Amino acid sequence: MMVERAMAAEAALGTPEGPDHLVLSEVGMTFGTLDVIPSLSLSVRRGEMVAFLGPSGCGKTTTLRMIAGLLDPTRGRISVGGRDITHLPVHDRDMGMVFQSYALFPHMTVAQNVAFGLEMRRMAKVEIRARVERALAMVQLGHLAGRKPKALSGGQQQRVALARALVVEPSILLLDEPLSNLDAKLRDEMRVQIRSLQQQSGITAVFVTHDQVEALSMCDRIVVMRGGHVEQYGTPNEIYERPATPFVASFVGRTNRLSGRVDPSGRLLIEGRPVAAEGRLPEGAVEVLVRPHRMSLRAASEEPPAGLNSLPGVLTGATFVGDLIQATVRIGAGEITVEQLTRRRSGLPEPGSAVTVAWEAGDTMVYPEGRA
Amino acid sequence: MTAVPAVSAGRRPMGGQQVAVALLLPIALINVVGFMLPIFNLARYSFNRATVGGGIENVLTLQNWTGLLGDPFYLQLILNSVFVSLGVTLCALILSYPIALYLHRASGSWRTFLTVLVISPLLTSAVVRTYGWIAILAEEGPVVSAIRGMGLTPPPLMFNINGVFIGLTEILMPYMILALLAGFGRLDPRVEEAARTLGATPWQSFRRVILPLTAPGIALGCLLCFVLAVSSFITPKLMGGGRVFLLATEIYDQAIVTLNWPLASTLSILVLVIFGAALVAYSAVLKRLD
Ligand SMILES: Nc1ncnc2c1ncn2[C@@H]1O[C@H](COP(=O)(O)OP(=O)(O)OP(=O)(O)O)[C@@H](O)[C@H]1O
Ligand SMILES: [Mg+2]
Repeated sequence: MMVERAMAAEAALGTPEGPDHLVLSEVGMTFGTLDVIPSLSLSVRRGEMVAFLGPSGCGKTTTLRMIAGLLDPTRGRISVGGRDITHLPVHDRDMGMVFQSYALFPHMTVAQNVAFGLEMRRMAKVEIRARVERALAMVQLGHLAGRKPKALSGGQQQRVALARALVVEPSILLLDEPLSNLDAKLRDEMRVQIRSLQQQSGITAVFVTHDQVEALSMCDRIVVMRGGHVEQYGTPNEIYERPATPFVASFVGRTNRLSGRVDPSGRLLIEGRPVAAEGRLPEGAVEVLVRPHRMSLRAASEEPPAGLNSLPGVLTGATFVGDLIQATVRIGAGEITVEQLTRRRSGLPEPGSAVTVAWEAGDTMVYPEGRA
Repeated sequence: MTAVPAVSAGRRPMGGQQVAVALLLPIALINVVGFMLPIFNLARYSFNRATVGGGIENVLTLQNWTGLLGDPFYLQLILNSVFVSLGVTLCALILSYPIALYLHRASGSWRTFLTVLVISPLLTSAVVRTYGWIAILAEEGPVVSAIRGMGLTPPPLMFNINGVFIGLTEILMPYMILALLAGFGRLDPRVEEAARTLGATPWQSFRRVILPLTAPGIALGCLLCFVLAVSSFITPKLMGGGRVFLLATEIYDQAIVTLNWPLASTLSILVLVIFGAALVAYSAVLKRLD
């Protein structure tokens, strides 16, 4: 549900169509004998916010640190605005970074923390004071300017870190899971705040996260990473609706897996029954993925809905979760989940009874078997 | 929130306190017998009169104190001691700081190996290490020969203040490194990286972030080394060749050679006063750092 809502918001905003700003070409990183990033290429447009989304250890932080200059890539090239910065020292890169641990300077006050980057740029004292004041007002921390970081809550520290990175108006903003230490309510607020600050300032941003809702709701495009390579790069809508691989499909949103075959004539069969799908299908054994909430359920005695794919199964259980009912259905040897919105008078068939599961052809995602 | 934790909380400190007292008693006794009483004795001797032949006449007199504070030789001695110790501390700090910083950043078995290397000098006695330095710095030793080999005239390195300086600095470095490491706790590599991404050059990040965050370690290391330097007498005695006069060597001479215990006691109390001053300075620095 979260995911759907997030995508609706994203679609309304549209994506920036600027020129490429940050470009990584065949960048690789090897730690000793461990090839963490074999070869990674991607480009981020000016003013765009891109999410690096992937499971723990897939190389998100490593990639971000290479962009920031904190790690020297073993191979490849990184450029910003057409200029090669692969070997530029960190302090000349003009990037703002928000660390997962915030990394505030513990010996400085909030105001001194925020002023640090401006002082490094040798800005006039008066100007620094004005900008620090504005930056702190922006993150609603003006009243805490004189505090030391250890006297702040996690959320306040996070906002100081954000103000400190943004106040220098960097060419690129890098965020490494900046919200992972916050509670759910604050996280929601900060999402909106970060996104609106980024859009107001038109800054190019890279946002590392392993939270799909964060990626889908905040970012123009998403890089789904796995084992150091890009699994798919696209808008939240593309990633969700047309996942390039079963991994993407199951990592972003939930999904059901069914085994099928595509025969030489191009027909897709599941449990021996023909199933319609859009696009070209790979021949041979295939995996068929359908999202639980795109399926519907009815008693086997009812007429199967015309124009929809339908498969017979046995209802094995149902869980009522308020606005949803999650039903598990056995189809052949496998088990799938069907999610239906609850209505006042919609009773599910009894557990153990024969049911028909139905979905639209467009919701069928087909991948060659064994391509995890 | 109920009565249960309240009851156990009421009982615990009692039992805990008794255990704490029982555990602290032995060390408290040792301290009283082995430390407080001797210090008290020293203080008393410093107001007694010395008699010829090493005796102590049990009369109350200010003679030791007035004689000592009125004698330019002793005033010079105090200043010498303090300045040599400060100098040695500074040298040890400058030489140890990069090592400690490197050790702090190293990881795994490399770090363990280096730490053992740093500690290993402490496994040999200062006497042995001092003789080592005498061999190295002596007139026909490798250092002097090397300087001669380069066609330069070597400065006198042994049996003067230079030798004392070099020897003490090296002997105190392990303590300095360990104290620095103990005080580097607040130095998080992420914080340095944050400074660098905000545009700080390596030097600026050192000045503005690393140095302030390591200041508690520096203060601790300096206090420790200063105290050890003021009270060390083997190295100044052996490497000074009898020509370097410091408080600790003078105490030794007065107590063991001249057998003037009241004067030795007075000097010892003076050393304690210097330590007190160092402690006051240390806590003032710590307060300012916080
Ligand atoms: N300095 C290093 N030396 C050796 N291996 C490293 C180093 N830094 C990272 N790695 C390895 O590289 C891989 C990717 O690490 P990275 O921190 O980029 O993951 P991540 O995607 O950010 O994961 P997470 O979501 O847990 O933060 C991991 O397997 C990690 O063990
Ligand atoms: Mg990470």
